[in-house]
Amino acid sequence: MARPFKTATALAALSLGALGLAGAVQAATVIDFTVAEYSSKTGPYFQEVANAFEAQNPDITINIEVVPWDTLLQRLTTDVAGGAAPDISIIGTRWLLDFASQGIAEPMDSYLTPEFKSTFIDTFMAPSVIDGKIMGLPVAASARAMMVNMDLYDKAGVAPPTNWDELYAASQKIAALPDTFAFGLQGKDIETDAYFYYSLWTHGGAILNADGTSGIDSPAAIESANLYLNMINEGLTQPSPTNYNREDVFNLFKQGKVATIFTFPMLIPQIKEEAPNLRYKVLPFPEGSAKATYGVTDTLMMFADSDVKAAAWKFIEFAYSDEFRSQFDHGEGFLPVTKNVAAEPFYTTDPDISGFAAGLPYAQFAPTIANWEEIADVTVRTMQQIYLGQVTPEDGLKATAAQINKIRGL
Amino acid sequence: MSKVLQKSVPLLMILPGLVLAITIIGYPIIDLAWTSMQEVSRFGKLSGFNGFDNFAEVFADPLFYGSLVRTGIWTLAVVGGTLLISMPVAIILNDDFFGRGLARVIIMLPWALSLTMTAVVWRWALNGRSGLLNATLMQAGLIDQPVEWLATASTAFTVEILVGILVSIPFTTTILLGGLSSMPQDAYEAAVVDGASGWSQFRYITLPLMKPFINIAIVLNVIYVFNSLPIIWVMTEGGPANGTDILVTYLYKLAFRFGQLGKASAISLVMFGILLVFTVLYVVLLSRNEADAAPEKDVKDEI
Repeated sequence: MARPFKTATALAALSLGALGLAGAVQAATVIDFTVAEYSSKTGPYFQEVANAFEAQNPDITINIEVVPWDTLLQRLTTDVAGGAAPDISIIGTRWLLDFASQGIAEPMDSYLTPEFKSTFIDTFMAPSVIDGKIMGLPVAASARAMMVNMDLYDKAGVAPPTNWDELYAASQKIAALPDTFAFGLQGKDIETDAYFYYSLWTHGGAILNADGTSGIDSPAAIESANLYLNMINEGLTQPSPTNYNREDVFNLFKQGKVATIFTFPMLIPQIKEEAPNLRYKVLPFPEGSAKATYGVTDTLMMFADSDVKAAAWKFIEFAYSDEFRSQFDHGEGFLPVTKNVAAEPFYTTDPDISGFAAGLPYAQFAPTIANWEEIADVTVRTMQQIYLGQVTPEDGLKATAAQINKIRGL
Repeated sequence: MSKVLQKSVPLLMILPGLVLAITIIGYPIIDLAWTSMQEVSRFGKLSGFNGFDNFAEVFADPLFYGSLVRTGIWTLAVVGGTLLISMPVAIILNDDFFGRGLARVIIMLPWALSLTMTAVVWRWALNGRSGLLNATLMQAGLIDQPVEWLATASTAFTVEILVGILVSIPFTTTILLGGLSSMPQDAYEAAVVDGASGWSQFRYITLPLMKPFINIAIVLNVIYVFNSLPIIWVMTEGGPANGTDILVTYLYKLAFRFGQLGKASAISLVMFGILLVFTVLYVVLLSRNEADAAPEKDVKDEI
């Protein structure tokens, strides 16, 4: 009776011992790297970079974890709360302030050599600077632009618009075509607020006023919201925008059912693959009283709690080599964040990508303020109420501005 | 002395299990209560006791009350609808007919799918332009314009309740089926001899005898449905304009989108309280009813 038990105990002890031994042999530095999943190519790409790095640095192991964007913030929140934060992670730049103000992000100034720093395009570096300290490195960037379906514009006999009046007039003609929607309006889920900011900015408005209060109830904002509302009421958009998230609107465009959308460069590889016969054109946003585009960056952040910062930094410098950056930007369809990649002929001559890059000199970024996610959610809720006709733009935006000011403690 | 020892032996023997259970169940609740009275950073760091500030914030929030009312509607409608459908389904499946095994498998099958996957499939089916439901309805000539089911809160919430009912049916049917198969057949035979109609048999024999099973189905379903996140989260994320938010979706948003872990744990504790009160009340009512209507006594009186 006792024998099997003894044997089992002995075995267990033996295997434990073996484990301990194995641990001792592999006392290499392990860097935990959380990667946001941009597409199915993201994971394999970073694994390739890690493998190349490990080949040069046998004493360092890179442990890559790919997390989808939808759950990334929640994942990092629970990791940090549970004391199991990674060493480096890709994050949305809009979260950086929260990480920095809680002392979770490690300032990078002391690691950045002037030479390495100079490889970045300054516009994209700017959003990562908080209180004069560089809290992260830009890892991916995109700008937004208008995309039109030339077949539908030709069929309606109108030219692609350069300003809002032209867009409105053209949309009226296109909407008269059978089974066609003129303007794709996003009304659901992530970035519903961004679709409104496009209009807000080009009408000369701003998310925040100069004094830091919400600019969401400015005359420009009310004008922008009224414009979208009129387009809905006149049947120029797809019906019931509040049922369409970003991907739904883009899918309508790929199907050739909608003539005009506001979109990001990552759509181009998708169109080439899924709708190769679509005749599209990338153009700047229609102008109201201003030119604008939305610049979005993601940030590579190092955690202050990390025990292996030196090794992690070594990996970061390695991963930012031109060869890897170029492969990443091409693969995912991003705008380059480093000067050398941006200088590649592709990014200046390709009509699609240069159409998106053209807006960068006047790009607006989401403000780096605390509680940004909550402010965005309040804005999304109001836009949905306006699109559904539950509130007027004036009342809705006034109440929203008050609520945002309250969230910001103003 | 030895008597005391004898009495305490069973207690001592269940003690380790009891302690373990209390620790596992109790620790999260105590931790939650503790967190709800703290100021919490968005990364879960407690930065100081703030009394009932989190609760005050919750009770001053109009979205909380909206979600509370919708949680009530959601729970009532889903549990009620589920019971109304599951009862006849269970009775049919309890009858012996050709292909009953297959029919039972078909009813149980949705249970094997994860709730999230079911919700994703429904989200696609309900898509206004390319969804299967609109295509079917239009081909059948029932509608001539596609309906955007999830675009407004009223239709979206109704559809979500229907999906909620659909996914709760297998579990409830199983419980009721278990009850039906343990039902004494002689009561029915006697009723048939007395010339009772099918409805009377159901009303005066099946229903009273099934009461304990229906009760357990109600309690368990209320607890599951009240706390159920996936259906609403996948289909609308509580939108449009918070019109389909119930407490648990709102709490998830607060905790993991907005990083207000203190306020979220306060709501979580309120939800725990509501469920606890419901369960205790229900069990008390139940045991009182049973005490009032002790069956033996009735029989004796009639004799």
